[in-house]
Amino acid sequence: MSESARNLAKTNGVMLSVEQISLSFGGVQALKDVSFEIREGEIGAIIGPNGAGKSSMLNVINGFYHPQKGLITYRGVARKQMRPHEAARQGIARTFQNIALFKGMSTLDNIMTGRNTMMRRGLLWQALRAGPALKEELAHREKVEQVIDFLEIQHIRKTPVGRLPYGLQKRVELGRALAAEPTMLLLDEPMAGMNVEEKEDMSRFILDVNQEFGTTIVLIEHDMGVVMDISDHVVVLDYGRKIGDGTPAEVRGNRDVIDAYLGVSHD
Amino acid sequence: MDLLFLTEVVLSGLMTGVMYSLVALGFVLIFKASGIFNFAQGVLALFAALALYDFLAPEGWFNQLFGFTLPVPLAIIATAGVMVVVAWLIERLVLRHLVNQEGIILFMATIGLAYVLEGTGDLLFGSDVKPLDIGLPRGASDQLLDQYGLYIEKLEIVAAVTAALLVTVLAIFFQKTRIGRALRAVADDHQAALSVGISLRTIWVIVWAVAGIVALVAGIMWGSKSGVQFSLSLIALKALPVLILGGFTSVPGAIVGGLIIGVGEKLAEIYIGPFVGGAIENWFAYMLALAFLLFRPQGLFGEKIIERV
Amino acid sequence: MLYRETGQFKSSYTADQAIFPIAQDRWGLLATLAIAVFVVPLVIDDYLVNAVLLPFLIFSLAALGLNILTGYCGQLSLGTGAFMAVGAYATYKLVTAFPDLNLIIVVLLSGAVTAAVGVLFGLPSLRIKGFYLAVATLAAQFFLIWLFYKVPWFNNYNMTGQITMPTEYLFGIQVTGPGAAPTARYLFCLGIVVVFALVAKNIVRGRVGREWMAIRDMDIAAEIIGIKPLQAKLSAFAVSSFYVGMAGSLYFGVWLGAAEPGEAFGIDRSFLVLFMIIIGGLGSIVGNFFGAAFLILLPLLLKNLMVDGLAMEVVTAKHIEIVAMGTLIIFFLIVEPHGLARLWQITKEKLRLWPFPH
Repeated sequence: MSESARNLAKTNGVMLSVEQISLSFGGVQALKDVSFEIREGEIGAIIGPNGAGKSSMLNVINGFYHPQKGLITYRGVARKQMRPHEAARQGIARTFQNIALFKGMSTLDNIMTGRNTMMRRGLLWQALRAGPALKEELAHREKVEQVIDFLEIQHIRKTPVGRLPYGLQKRVELGRALAAEPTMLLLDEPMAGMNVEEKEDMSRFILDVNQEFGTTIVLIEHDMGVVMDISDHVVVLDYGRKIGDGTPAEVRGNRDVIDAYLGVSHD
Repeated sequence: MDLLFLTEVVLSGLMTGVMYSLVALGFVLIFKASGIFNFAQGVLALFAALALYDFLAPEGWFNQLFGFTLPVPLAIIATAGVMVVVAWLIERLVLRHLVNQEGIILFMATIGLAYVLEGTGDLLFGSDVKPLDIGLPRGASDQLLDQYGLYIEKLEIVAAVTAALLVTVLAIFFQKTRIGRALRAVADDHQAALSVGISLRTIWVIVWAVAGIVALVAGIMWGSKSGVQFSLSLIALKALPVLILGGFTSVPGAIVGGLIIGVGEKLAEIYIGPFVGGAIENWFAYMLALAFLLFRPQGLFGEKIIERV
Repeated sequence: MLYRETGQFKSSYTADQAIFPIAQDRWGLLATLAIAVFVVPLVIDDYLVNAVLLPFLIFSLAALGLNILTGYCGQLSLGTGAFMAVGAYATYKLVTAFPDLNLIIVVLLSGAVTAAVGVLFGLPSLRIKGFYLAVATLAAQFFLIWLFYKVPWFNNYNMTGQITMPTEYLFGIQVTGPGAAPTARYLFCLGIVVVFALVAKNIVRGRVGREWMAIRDMDIAAEIIGIKPLQAKLSAFAVSSFYVGMAGSLYFGVWLGAAEPGEAFGIDRSFLVLFMIIIGGLGSIVGNFFGAAFLILLPLLLKNLMVDGLAMEVVTAKHIEIVAMGTLIIFFLIVEPHGLARLWQITKEKLRLWPFPH
């Protein structure tokens, strides 16, 4: 058996598992002893009031923050902390709460950067361009065009992303993440600031990605309707701790979760 | 090793360091209040010194226009006034149009500003070296020489005391006054400051005027020491390593950084210099700052940069 | 009406990604090149070559280099002068040690040496950003100039402290040294600049260029999507320094013929090239040519106007020139921070509509 097949067999279908993750910045404790599992191919949602530590959790998963305590197991391999480019090269892609696009580049170029880790041709070939470098560029360009078709953004291909409206920027960011052909996609508030139509479009894209490519999805979202509709599994955080974990129906009826959202005072 | 000699070198280095700090202070002020790294700070010092000289000298424009030269105290006040006008012009013609641009654009604008001020200063006042004598004590301190055998220039003692006073005044200004608070708000976020009703323009004029006056003090000290000449503007380049050590936003940092650089340079020149051919003062400060940056990117007193995503 | 794209459809990605997708642009470039290669040599003399053409070509090359580092990769550098010095001294040591070495190889090797030095001084960029990095490059600037002054090995133990370029031939034609024909010097530099402008355009269009721009725009995000900051930044320093080194080599070898470290490669040079890329346009290839042309021609025009025309003293004219440069920088930063390249782009866009208003 190959190593990756062995790993997957080890995993029992669990794509990601975090155990007892604790993270603090100076005096502020962002996460305390958080543990949960995300199964392969499922759509998991992390929800919770503002400041609950949801973004921090994503940042820990893809290695931007390093937890002081705890274990991250991804595809069967356990580690104390991730490194960002390790995460990227192992098939984790993500989008950001505040849109982290490269404002000086066009849509096409931004999405092409999503494929940079797969491009091998060195500097000298790039200088020459004709030959292997061009072939590689064109092959990746085709894949990127497929992503562009999928997300219906052909008309803004050459536009510098800085000039695009917010909703389209979010879509381009999703495109960049998809271009990396990820095994697991982390989405940080993909629908923030969108109207109903845009949310429907985005939900459709997320579901399509999950169903067509089998991509495991972990998303942070505030819109309860969306969360309940599209997710298979919901984890609830509050003040850095996990207070709920289960199917949408289970979580909806959980007393602690309701209290957290309605703002019952904590002692 | 001659302990007396070493003490002299260290003290001399401290004094030079204070002079650097004076220039660095101006940088810190502007950066703290507007987020702009003012490359033109050194040229401002030069310009101030030139203007001061003009008020005092018989061959200056002032005398030619009005027929008399000003006594020293009035001349200083008049020059301070000139610096306020310069600050106002800078705000009106340059800063106003660059609100919310990125740091690198603002920095490059100040390089342009440095060129403009330098050329204008040369055109108005001529580029020959001018002696600046405003009555500051000259020569070595006899007391120290007789009692301890130390050769320390009185001028540098005056500079040190002045710097200490200036720092105290500025620290109080920033921490305790309403305007100081507004300055700190503007440094953090232009747009947010605007939205709470702080007039960006007024603040900027104030800051650049204060920086201009700090530059005047620096110009007086340096000019008295070695005459008013173009190389004064190059002192600004020395202020950069000072700022790196002390942090770009810290007033005490500018002082400490200046002292460290001043002493470090002198010691390096005396003890390492002879082995490598001398004149290492040109680059030693930078290498020191560079080494420092590698270990502590935010300087001694600077704010730790937390990256947010 | 002249500049229409109608009928020009791209049926392949290759065509879409060409440097000049619009046919008129291609013709325009070919025409410019043809004039540069065939027509110009017929009308040049020593003055034109020394005062305009060579500095234009050489500084365009230096600007290309700095733009790669600062404009495309966002790493501010104030050490361009010193890196040009590295290229110049490398050339000097090479031609004095190996006089029969092919001149093109000499220039390329000088670039390579400078690239190595550039990578060394670029290492701090992994920890340091923005203005702080500018200080590191200033350290390079001051240290290297001091080094070239103090260490006599660099100028072959010459008492005068100056380095002089010996006469060198390429394919039998004299290119350097006194007596070299203006056409030879011009075409040599032109060839190098054209080839390497194309190379630069190729690099920035591809994977490496995108990595640089990603680091420039948001280095944290770049790292998160898998771009290695180490490789990206160091490759920017390497390529940039290679170009600047070649520029320094031509500057000393073909243009000036002799140089002293402080005067020829001091911090004013660094600022000059920085101004060129600001005025020309950060993050642009063609902009470097605009910026270089602007800042070479402007002082000449001013001098002719003021000294010859208005009979001013040279010193006064120099001061006015300094004020003018500073004012121009500020003007461009306020009005068009993306420089002449953007203005050119806007002009072309307007031309596409002409004579219709919209």
